[in-house]
Formats: sequence, structure tokens, C-alpha cells
Amino acid sequence: MTTATATNLKQVPLLRRYLNLTSAILVVAAAAMIVVSIQNPSLLVNTLATGGMWALMAGGLALVFGVMNIPSFVHGDLFMVGTLVALFVFTPIQSMIQDAPNDFVLKWLGPFAGMILAFILGAVIGVLMELLLFRQLRRRSREQWVMNTFLLTAGLSIMFENVAMMAFGNLPQGISRYWDVPPIDVLGVPVAMDRLVTFIVAMGTLAVFALFLQRSRTGRAMRAVSMDETGAQMAGIGLTRIYQLTLALSCGLAALAGAVLIWLTPFTPTVGASPLLIAWYVVILAGLGNVQGAVVGAFLVAMVQQLTGYYLALNWVDVLPTGIIILVLLFKPSGLFGSEVKGVWEQ
Amino acid sequence: MVTTSTTPAASAAQRGPQRLGLIAAVVLIAVSIALPFVPPFTGQDWQRYLVGAALIAASAVAFDFTAGYIDIVNFGFAAFMGLGGYTSAILVNTYGISPWLGFPLGALTAGILGLLTGLLTLRLRGIYAAVMTWFVALALLGLARNLTDVTRGPLGLAVSPLLATNDNLPYYYVMLGILIATLVVLTLVIRSRVGLAFRAIGQNLQAARASGINPTVFLVANFTISCAFAGVFGVFYAHYYGILTPDVMGTSHTIEILAIAYIGGRGSLWGPAVIAFPMYIAVQLLKVQLSSQPALYLVIYGLLLILVMLYRPDGAAGVIRSLGHRLDRRPKSGAGPAGASATPTPGATA
Repeated sequence: MTTATATNLKQVPLLRRYLNLTSAILVVAAAAMIVVSIQNPSLLVNTLATGGMWALMAGGLALVFGVMNIPSFVHGDLFMVGTLVALFVFTPIQSMIQDAPNDFVLKWLGPFAGMILAFILGAVIGVLMELLLFRQLRRRSREQWVMNTFLLTAGLSIMFENVAMMAFGNLPQGISRYWDVPPIDVLGVPVAMDRLVTFIVAMGTLAVFALFLQRSRTGRAMRAVSMDETGAQMAGIGLTRIYQLTLALSCGLAALAGAVLIWLTPFTPTVGASPLLIAWYVVILAGLGNVQGAVVGAFLVAMVQQLTGYYLALNWVDVLPTGIIILVLLFKPSGLFGSEVKGVWEQ
Repeated sequence: MVTTSTTPAASAAQRGPQRLGLIAAVVLIAVSIALPFVPPFTGQDWQRYLVGAALIAASAVAFDFTAGYIDIVNFGFAAFMGLGGYTSAILVNTYGISPWLGFPLGALTAGILGLLTGLLTLRLRGIYAAVMTWFVALALLGLARNLTDVTRGPLGLAVSPLLATNDNLPYYYVMLGILIATLVVLTLVIRSRVGLAFRAIGQNLQAARASGINPTVFLVANFTISCAFAGVFGVFYAHYYGILTPDVMGTSHTIEILAIAYIGGRGSLWGPAVIAFPMYIAVQLLKVQLSSQPALYLVIYGLLLILVMLYRPDGAAGVIRSLGHRLDRRPKSGAGPAGASATPTPGATA
């Protein structure tokens, strides 16, 4: 059925092609955001900051699903690992800053040490996951792969969470002053440094990520594998390396998001649950395995979250998105940006 | 993964193990009835473990009914249980109806929600259903937390007990009855033509569709049945423990059921029921022994789940089944055809 729409795509008049549900939702969302941000600019700032991080989470999730057909349930726990790394790297740096309050390098670049290490550790965990789990499962059987890997990651997620609980306890541990500098004026709106840096890191990472996927040889190989595994193999692409790289990249991005966002979400063993939910929500909304769609969807979801949190109450944040996603699945089952390309998992 | 008698020769060869299975079932039921009178289980604590084990066994069986046969993971199973429980608890509390009437009502609400969720997601691929049930579960959890007028939120809703006694023994027999009824009903469904359609869909959707099966109808039917059963267990949970908090619906509760179902062996129904008793009781003892590490049992669940997924996808049921085959073959090793056709055991395929 998806191939039929693909062939029809060219015959649809230009106007109708852009007058669809997806663009309608995007326009409404943009309008809502403009209206709201005039009333309350901090909502816009928060949307952009958190949206960027959800984009990193959801982009990684979509990538793993697209390339390896793994619906990862362990993604949120890499976020948790990221917060842990930031905590352990930045706490000594913070005491060094207190000793030398005027040290420019420490003050401005200190937090980045934790972020970079978080990305590296996340990537290492990703490679280990591929070597120890997914490769073993692939060797045994590829039957019912999607469900099996889903359960595998679910089991892994319980282990991550509860080992973290046993090792670091249940209490939230955060960093109070990630950037000890006053807010900066952006177009007359005071923006706290942590939000600004979050947004900049998100945009920078996404740009590098997109360039890598679109332009580099390896990125092209990854996209080839996600479209047609056998075909990619025939063209001489080594699957093992691509798989390792995919998991490393996606897990690294999740850990990075955790390290960057620690000012908002302090470490607890289950801190990853909500980012995982959001990432999944974004991925279903945008269409499974669609990386670009996931990035746009992430900002949409961040906006819905901020608006619900502001106008209703914070505890409704889980309820409303589910309602929205039910509507989306009713009218556009393949997601807002549902891809016309049939993934490996659908065959 | 699922043994199906496709040819007459195979079904003749299976008659042996089937008889063995029947004997085993009768023995196990007898043991489970007699169990509360065997020394360690005579204490109230141990009988409480038994009730919990029977409850989780039944849940895992109903979970396996979808996960093992149509390959759909209901990641919100606990929430459907919770919905059934809350329905019954609220109706009993406000209208004073008998808790026994709660069973059909709880099954009804959970079944209806299952039907709607199934209609929405089951025309898509399995993973949509898994993720969507998770969303629905979190939404229900959020509703239970927020609608404090009805559910009292995290404070917990006090529920009137099912039986006018504090003794755990009668509750155990009620739950055991529910467990056996669940097993019998679901096994009969699986053995019927409808069950054949389920297995066909689970094994090869395209082939099932090609042979004239409308997958969506059967998928939704299966899912609805499983959710209705979840509602029944939720009602028992509510009226047994006497208090309902939104945490009943939490993902970790689902994962506990899911882990038992997969460790017990997917696509067998009896496997989860058999493994639930030793696993649940061992976990409870571990919790009591190591109260300083309350998270340890979940680590064990996670590790076992991973190991089962990687190395023994047919779970404990597969292990028991292959032992049974060996046991069955030994006495009549002279009979050629039975011994020969028993060799392709499921799960032995690499």
C-alpha cells in the first residue's frame, strides 16, 4: 500500500501535496508557539532547549530502528548514564572553580568535559551492546527480530536502572550551577546560560549528525543499510561495522543529551524513563525510522509538553500526548512524516 | 516455535507426549491444591506468596496468549489489570455491589479498552501495538494519579475484601481456580480453529493472509480476550490486597509479568504458569533476605530475560518439553517411527 502512494506522489498537484494534515499541524503549532511566546517568552526558550535534546534522543532512536530494526527500550538508560557521567566529571571541576573563581577555561569549558566523556562512554556501551547482545541474537535467529530485540532491550533497561539504584541510591543528585554566569539578553529576553548552551549544543550536534548522515561515505552506507540491507551488502558495505557505528552513535547521543540536560533532570536511576517515553512518542509521531522527521517531531513534542505543563498541570504531561498520538495514528498510521520507503522490518 | 500437528504421522508421534502432558497437568494441579498443607507453606506468609504466585502465573498465561501466539507484546498489561481493579473497586465502593460482580465488570472495561487499543494499532505492525499499549498504560497511570476525586490518587483506594476472612487459604483456592480456568479456556481457544489462525498469523502473516485469514480480526480478538482476562486478575488483585494505588499499573509490574511469561516459555501457556510459582516465591524470599537491596530481584529478572532471549527462546517450557520427549522415547526405543519422528523437537533448530 505504501508503494502505491509513492507512485501517486508525482501526480498529486503541488497545492494538494502541501495542503495535508502534516503541514496543517505544523502551521497550527508554529502559530500557537508564536502567540504563546509573545505572552510568555520563557516557554519558547524552554521549548527550544528541551526540544533540541529530545531531538538528539529521538534521532538516535530512529536511527537504530531504521538501520538495525531494534526498537530500543534502553535508550532512556543511556540518558541516565549521561547524567551520571556529568555528575562525576563536573563535581570535581566545580570545586576547582570554587577555588579559582576567575579561571576562564574552567568556568566556560568545564561542563563540556562531562558532555564529551558522556558521549564517549555512551558510544562504548553501544558497541558493547552490539557485540554482547544483538550479534549473539542475530547469529542465533533473525526470526521475530523486532519483538525479540525489544524484549532484549527491555531486560537490559531493568538491569541498568536497578544496578544504578543499587550503586548510587534512589535520591536525586544534580548540579545546581552548571554555568555560573548571569543570564544573557537575547532580543530583550533574559535567557539563562544553561538553556542557551543546551540549545547551541543540540543544534551543533544535529548539524554534525545531519552532515555525517547526508555527506560522508559512512553515513551514506548507514542510510543504504536502513533502506535495503541485502542491497547494501551486495554493494560491498560491511554490516558489522555499520551496526557497531549505528549503536555507538545513537547511544552516544542519548548519553550526551543526559549530560547536557542535567541542570533540568538530576540523576535518579529512573531519570531516563521520561526522555525514553518522549523519544518514543516523537518517533511514533514522526514515523518509525525516520530521522529527519524525528528531529522536527521532537520540537513539536517539546512544545506540547511545555504548553500542557503551563496551562494544565505538570502531571498531565503524560496523558495529553497519548491522546494526541491516538489521533495521529487514527488518521496517519505511518506517522506525520511517514516514509514512503518500505523498511526492512516491514518485509 | 509452536508445535503443531501438521501431518497424521506427526500427530501420532505426538500422542505420546500429549498423554504425558495430561498426566503432568493432573499431577501439577493436585500438587498445587495440596501445597498449602505441606510444611513451609502452612504459614500465612508462605500462603500469601502462593496467592501472589498464582496471580502472576495467571497474568503471565494471559500475557503469553498474545505474546506467544500472535507475537504482540502487550506492554501495558498491568494497566489493563489496574483498569479492571479500579472499575470494580469504584463500583463496589460507590454502589455497594458484591465484589464478585466486579469480575465481569472489570473484564468488560479492560476488554473494551483492549478492543479500542487493538483496533487502533493492530492493523499496523506489532511494534506499534507494543509501544501504543505502553502509552495507553502511562496515560491510565496518569489518569489514576490525577483524578484524585475518584481514585484518591497516590494515597491509594481502600477496597472491600472479596471474602469475609483474613485467612490467605481461601483466597489461594479462588485464585488457583481462576488460574486453572484461565489455562483451560485459553488452551481450548488455542487448540480450536481460531487458535490455528492465531498461530498462523504469528508465524507468517503473509502466508496467513494468503490462505484467507483476515489478520486484523483475529489479532484484535486475541488482544481483547487477553485484556479482558487481565481485567479479571486486576479485580482479584484489588479485592485481595485491599488497596489500589496507581503504581499497580506501572511498567515495572508489566515487566515482571513479561519476564515470567518469557522465562516460562513463549507460546506454551503452561510454561509461564509452571515457572511462576518457583520464580515468584524465590523472588519473595530474596526480597525478605536482602531487604537492603530491594532492586536486586529486578536485576535478576532482567538478566534471566536477556539470557532466555539469547540462548533459550522457548524458555523453561522448551527445556521441560525436550526432557519429556527424552523420557517418552526411552521406554519404547524399539518402536521406530515414534522415536524417529520425535527428533525434530522445537527449539532445537539453530
